[in-house]
Amino acid sequence: MNPLTGRRRLIPWLFLAPALALLGTFTLVPMLRAAGWSLTDADLLRTGSAAWTGAAHYSDLLTDPRFRRAFFNTACFALMVVPVQAALAFFLALWVNRPEPQWRWLRTVFFAPVVVSMPVLAVLWTMLYQPMRGDQTGLVNALVAAVGLPAQAWLQNPRLALPAIAFMSVWQGVGFQMMIFLAGLQNLSRDQLEAATIDGAGAAQRLRHVILPAMRPSIAFVLTATLILSFRLFAQPYLMTRGGPEDATVSVIQFIYETTFLGQELGRASAAAMLFLALVAGLALAQRLFAREVRS
Amino acid sequence: MPGRNPCSEPGRRLRSVAAPAIALLAALAAGCAREPAGPAIRVWCQQGQEAENAAMRSMASAFNQAHAREGIAVHLTFFPDFQYTEKVSIAAAARDLPDVLALDGPTVARFAQAGLLRPVAGWFSPEELDDFAPTILAQGTVNGTLYALGAFDSALVLYYDRDRLARAGVTPPSGFEAWTWDDFMAACARLKAAGFDPVSLHMDESGDEWFTYAFSPLIWSAGGRLIGPDGRVEGVLNAPENAAALRRWREVFARDFAARAPVDPDPFGNGHTAMDWSGHWMVRSHLAAKGDRLGVMPLPAMGDTPAAACGSWCWGLTRDAADPDRAARWLRWVTDPGRGIQPIVAANGAVPARRSAYRLFPEYAHPPFNLFRHLQETAGRPRPRTPAYPTLTRHVAAALRDIARGADPRECLDRAARQVQARLDRRRPAP
Repeated sequence: MNPLTGRRRLIPWLFLAPALALLGTFTLVPMLRAAGWSLTDADLLRTGSAAWTGAAHYSDLLTDPRFRRAFFNTACFALMVVPVQAALAFFLALWVNRPEPQWRWLRTVFFAPVVVSMPVLAVLWTMLYQPMRGDQTGLVNALVAAVGLPAQAWLQNPRLALPAIAFMSVWQGVGFQMMIFLAGLQNLSRDQLEAATIDGAGAAQRLRHVILPAMRPSIAFVLTATLILSFRLFAQPYLMTRGGPEDATVSVIQFIYETTFLGQELGRASAAAMLFLALVAGLALAQRLFAREVRS
Repeated sequence: MPGRNPCSEPGRRLRSVAAPAIALLAALAAGCAREPAGPAIRVWCQQGQEAENAAMRSMASAFNQAHAREGIAVHLTFFPDFQYTEKVSIAAAARDLPDVLALDGPTVARFAQAGLLRPVAGWFSPEELDDFAPTILAQGTVNGTLYALGAFDSALVLYYDRDRLARAGVTPPSGFEAWTWDDFMAACARLKAAGFDPVSLHMDESGDEWFTYAFSPLIWSAGGRLIGPDGRVEGVLNAPENAAALRRWREVFARDFAARAPVDPDPFGNGHTAMDWSGHWMVRSHLAAKGDRLGVMPLPAMGDTPAAACGSWCWGLTRDAADPDRAARWLRWVTDPGRGIQPIVAANGAVPARRSAYRLFPEYAHPPFNLFRHLQETAGRPRPRTPAYPTLTRHVAAALRDIARGADPRECLDRAARQVQARLDRRRPAP
């Protein structure tokens, strides 16, 4: 093998340069600045005159009941959304993975909510979830009442608000994961499946011994991506409940947003963002390691 | 500026993907080249109802015409008032504030404390300043310095439909009299029995400010406060009398006199609602819809302390204003009785900010407008002036939303007070 000469060594970097410049400007530099601010009492309106506070924000945040509540809510949301959304997406993909053109429209139907703007969906679902009150009853409660169950104030009940938002989020996002699984399924070797069928494997056995093992990379990707996306929860609760009732739907991002733009405490908000980054990065890493373990 | 882009011509002829980018560059270049002498005065204001926006735009073109010879022009940018404070904060952090800024009264303290606003008294004579209503001067004053002046003040009242009250056998109070809270609840009960939705409290408002603005007068009338004279919130906002007042307020929802989660922004105008807890901004549309059937009274009071909501959007000159003398011309224009106050008040039905402006509005001698003036002059009470106001209003609104859907007022106020007090305790002293 030829060692790369000076010029040839430069060329890959030239190709990488635009991406690195963008990544540096819009991700790395802001991240480092936030890390710096998190150790000061920087004020959003007077960023020039920040004083060193050390780790004070971090210790203060870890005992702040609202911040802890935000973390708890976000984790609960991820716990509800990740398994349900991934499993549902997988079965939807199995269902619509057919070559005939008439199945295409069904894929479009499932994918449609992904391309609609989240604020629009949040407003729509706020109306769907309207509590029972004469002619203003929301569709969800009308359906619930039609099957004989008691109507609920979905978004006004502290116990139901987060699950209701999780349900809506699963519906909104499931099409995206379905598409990834669909791509994985279409790469599946037909020969293997046919061989399994000839060997007398039933549908369940084919799924367990042929499809699932082949789909492992897609599954690992979907789980990681869904986890990270679900931790970024913000628009739905901010627009549907504003974090209420009784802080039951405050997300970490909302906490950071309000600390920055209402409290105007840039330092404290940056510290919250760093804690959040550490958690999400840690989870993503753990998941990758786990996936690698399973694979090998 | 919406609906007007002088620079889209070159873009239209190009059919490549680059067309939008080129059009944008052309627009930027032309935007810089178009101004006659010096840059335009950059003005940010909140987007109100369409009539208000139209009044603002015509005010700006009148200003530009009058100053064409001197080469002074104003450039307005409208922003929705939802998240307006956030947008101003971002611009301040980026050192990109406009020359003149509209701000909501209670946020003046925070922006002044951060050094973003310039004192404005120097551009007005003492007689002119004396002409402004005391509530307007109070909301713009922070630590004895005047930082903002408005063209109008607000009024919050209880509108009612005379026919609907009469059909339920409810007699409204006469003159400027207010109902006690018990009178109000009794009236609601009769209205409900007669088949009406008694009152609309607009609990669907997406912003937080409505809640603090609309329901603080109840707390005040019961003798309570949101923030103590020493600036403390803990022990004041969550005082037992405030919790007691809000426990009585919660009854409105518990007895279904008002919707907890309404979907119609104007059920008084559109539906079967008999009374509307709302502000001056609805008076023109209610008058148009109801004519003589529209009645108006002060908000019901929970105690003896006279307290009416007041305070509204006002104007400040920013730290980043390149030429404050030029920028102050716009400030003088929008607060001038004939040029500024007349058009905006004609559009939104607010309370004129200057006494001398009343001669332009004969209707303020008669109902419903005379009640607005009466409340402002006799009982107007600005919302708290504290640098932590955005945090305060966020948590007060959250508490009120929770209480309305049945939560315990004491717990909700405790939680809000803790959060706001913690924010205040972390505050650095002003530079």
